Amino acid sequence: MKKKKAIAMSFNWIFAIITGVFILFLAIYGASKFIQTSEKTIYTETAASLISLFDPLETGLASGKAYEIGFKKQSKFYFTCDYLSNQPFGKQTIAFSEQTFGEEYGEKGGGVSIKNKYVFTNEIIEGKKLYVFTKPFFMPFKITDIVIVLPDSDTYCFYDSPEEIKENLEGLNLETIHFPNESERCEGINVCFDIGRECDIKVFEEEGYVQKQGTRVFYIGDLIYGAIFSSPDIYECNIKRIKNKFNELGKIYLDKIKIIERKECGAQLGPKLASVIGEIENSRDLIMLYEKIEDIDSINRRAKSGCSLY
Amino acid sequence: MILKKGRLKIQVHKNFRKFLVPEFLKKGQLKIQEMAFMLVAVFLFFILVGMFVLTLMYMNIHEDATRIAEERTLSSVTNLADSPEFSCVASKTNCVDGDKLISLVGRKSYENFWPFSSLKVITFRGFGKSENELVECNFANYPDCDLFIVYDKNVDNERAISSFIALCRKEYENGYTFDKCELAKLIGGTELKGVEG
Repeated sequence: MKKKKAIAMSFNWIFAIITGVFILFLAIYGASKFIQTSEKTIYTETAASLISLFDPLETGLASGKAYEIGFKKQSKFYFTCDYLSNQPFGKQTIAFSEQTFGEEYGEKGGGVSIKNKYVFTNEIIEGKKLYVFTKPFFMPFKITDIVIVLPDSDTYCFYDSPEEIKENLEGLNLETIHFPNESERCEGINVCFDIGRECDIKVFEEEGYVQKQGTRVFYIGDLIYGAIFSSPDIYECNIKRIKNKFNELGKIYLDKIKIIERKECGAQLGPKLASVIGEIENSRDLIMLYEKIEDIDSINRRAKSGCSLY
Repeated sequence: MILKKGRLKIQVHKNFRKFLVPEFLKKGQLKIQEMAFMLVAVFLFFILVGMFVLTLMYMNIHEDATRIAEERTLSSVTNLADSPEFSCVASKTNCVDGDKLISLVGRKSYENFWPFSSLKVITFRGFGKSENELVECNFANYPDCDLFIVYDKNVDNERAISSFIALCRKEYENGYTFDKCELAKLIGGTELKGVEG
């Protein structure tokens, strides 16, 4: 009988231990999954809220706008660009995560789509502050505002930059962009306009391209800022998206020509405009259109009073 | 064997009304049964709590998604008039070019560009009219119409946010072409997800 009682006790204990361990395991697993999901939800919400902050940066009549966004912890932002989905405009996504324990980052949140903005930045940026500035892009009418996102962890040192670029960037009061003299020392990503220097980013103004990470990306107008501050992949993707937006706007302007013809405004730029609507392969193709675009602009400027198209 | 049979007989007889189970087995079985019931109860309790928490979380996610979508709609609507698709010639601020707007009507490509579930413009002559009385704009009746429907995804639950704008178009009178502007209302809709009508 004693032996039997001992067996009964040990069975109870074994049973309790096994089920206890099982319940504990389930509880810990459930709690960790719950925390992970909550964290991911918060990160996704943060990314979504961040996109709303880009809207007030629409330039309208301004030549550029800038502001900074601060975060409580060191944060990481993941950007992607895809010109093939959401045709014809393509889309970008932004995902967010922040440091949790020590220097470890939490699992990144869900990617939130950006369909009506053109964000030029690197694929992954990291910092406690983000500097965001916008520049309008004309070709020859306004196509969009290009949004440049810079983290506080990346310092840019501009050498021998033209006065126009220096004035434009200094006017935005961005703490991470410096224009050092020969005597001053600047540690960071070197951007050079003088071909003789050894630099991370070289700008060839006459040829209209920027050399970065062993790749050439071509620019016109204010796209130079996108070419300097974003990764070549995101830049090329956004160029295709911008060209697609140009195509859609071109169609709208072609329709507008038909409307204003009813009001004694015979716009002559229709055929020229129609000829530049089409797809491009890369940024080099975009600058090939530059001459035709100049022609369109000069025709529009010559239009009779009250009849200009844009 | 005889002894065992006898004992068994006695026990069987003794426990006849108690489901024919030996005493020493009954105690163990009862304990296992108790524990099994307890386990099932504990599991059920945790599952119920988990479901309750998930429901709350799910509701919050929907609410947050709607709040963020509304914030985006609000911030977009106030800046939309200055976007290249709408902006007037000579870059007047908060001004929509009617001659471009009519071209946007029914243009499917823009349905997934802006963060709105619907995008409409009501002209000044449409103010105060009921929805049925509004005359929809198209190339044939423009500018003698009340409502430009850029697109409408026809979602079940929608909250509209509007912003007053200047709606301008080219007019020709006495040999002059000029911009004629009037007050209008730009309306952007946000889909309310997970909200019962």
